[in-house]
Amino acid sequence: MHLLHFPLVVIRVAFPSILSASLLLKHYHGGHVVIRLALGGCTNRPFYRIVAAYNKRARDSKHIEQLGSFDPLPNLYNEKLVSLNFQRIKYWIACGAHPTKPVAKLLEACRVLPLHPMTVTKAERFRKTAAQKEALGAPEEGSEEASESKPETA
Amino acid sequence: MAAFKITRRLIRDVELKSAVLFRCARRTLCSESANNSPTDGRSPRFSDKEVQNILTKITGLDLQKAFRPVKQELKPPTYRLMTDAQLAQATQKAMQVAKERLKMPPVLPERKPIDDVLAEDKFLEGLETVKYVFTDITYNIPHRERFIVIREPDGTLRKATWEERDRMVQLYFPREGRRLTPPPVFKEENLKVVFLQDRHEDILDLCLVQFEPDSPDYRRVHNLTYEDIDKHGKYDLLRSTRHFGGMVWYLVNGKKIDGLLIDMIQRDLIQDAASVIHLYHMLHPRGSSAKEAGEQQAQGIDLVKIFARTESQKAGYVELALQAYQETSTECSAQSSSP
Repeated sequence: MHLLHFPLVVIRVAFPSILSASLLLKHYHGGHVVIRLALGGCTNRPFYRIVAAYNKRARDSKHIEQLGSFDPLPNLYNEKLVSLNFQRIKYWIACGAHPTKPVAKLLEACRVLPLHPMTVTKAERFRKTAAQKEALGAPEEGSEEASESKPETA
Repeated sequence: MAAFKITRRLIRDVELKSAVLFRCARRTLCSESANNSPTDGRSPRFSDKEVQNILTKITGLDLQKAFRPVKQELKPPTYRLMTDAQLAQATQKAMQVAKERLKMPPVLPERKPIDDVLAEDKFLEGLETVKYVFTDITYNIPHRERFIVIREPDGTLRKATWEERDRMVQLYFPREGRRLTPPPVFKEENLKVVFLQDRHEDILDLCLVQFEPDSPDYRRVHNLTYEDIDKHGKYDLLRSTRHFGGMVWYLVNGKKIDGLLIDMIQRDLIQDAASVIHLYHMLHPRGSSAKEAGEQQAQGIDLVKIFARTESQKAGYVELALQAYQETSTECSAQSSSP
């Protein structure tokens, strides 16, 4: 009876050089394809690859296809570089792949996916907090200047 | 001093890369449309068949110069035993290969700057402090049609400028010999040092690899090189290379062909000089020399004489050179006829 509760894992013959969905090693129960960021790079130097992979796989392990890259550290020209293979991303989304949150953010920044409602809200909240900080900062500066000028005159 | 050191180091780099340059100096850009005919009523372009024929004829085909030793990996030479017929065949083949190598790089009008804004989403302002550059890395699109788009921190989504495009394309689809930031050789002061060393051909090869043919940097470097050659009369440096046609085109467009003509007459290349003037008349058909030549239906040395009389700026020098040429030719004919 215990054997019936065991998850079915069918291991097919390995073709390690060919990476395509139909020749993957494992057959997942209830898994789906995701488009996510796989971390690479070195210590204190992250680098992400945008990758179509099975949900159950480890983050950095074997993926189905690499669809692009994302460099989170800005370069000399103050740019963060994102490369996207639009053709293949469209194909995987059409096949039913789910993009994760950071990937969805990148795709909506270049207008491939529609805007998430929270993006606008977050931007507004950010601006509000920034404005509040400035407002708090201004009266503090005013009081500092007053206190500085007093010892000078005295 | 620092400029000197940099240029010396880079000129060494140029020497090492000259093998690479030979291999990748062949441009695979799509040239302008093939159905050009100068009888359309507009001025002839660089890519017209007639113009190209004239320029290839003038460039010449010096096999010794085209196949001069280039710094490559050290390989022992191969020796082959051939009959005369086989040697002739091999020379023919070599000439075809040289013609391929001497194919002129295109002369395109300067590209117009891109400032296309796709969206102005002010409500996204403040989310980021950096620009995001999105490049489409789909494999089968030509680089010119690739989508490269930038999202600024103030929310605007705009198309990337030409410099940004070149940089991104070089990052994701690197081209052999091309660097991300152009080497400092291409600055004015360093170019002067290169010209002093008579290395115009090398710098033009480097420029061809580094820049796109319609970028302002490419045109600037080429114009400076051609001006320098014209100033010092070093036309022979580029003869029988792929840059000669471009140089002649530039000089003819700028009406500065006097020095070139004098050089050609002094080297007894009268037919080439006549072709240059023919090209000049094609490009400036309303000038006085074109009209006179049309009236008289002049050919060969007469064309040169008409040009020297009418539109030349260094008329005196050209006529002197012509006189010298005619004296030497009469002497030669006298010597050959006398014994």
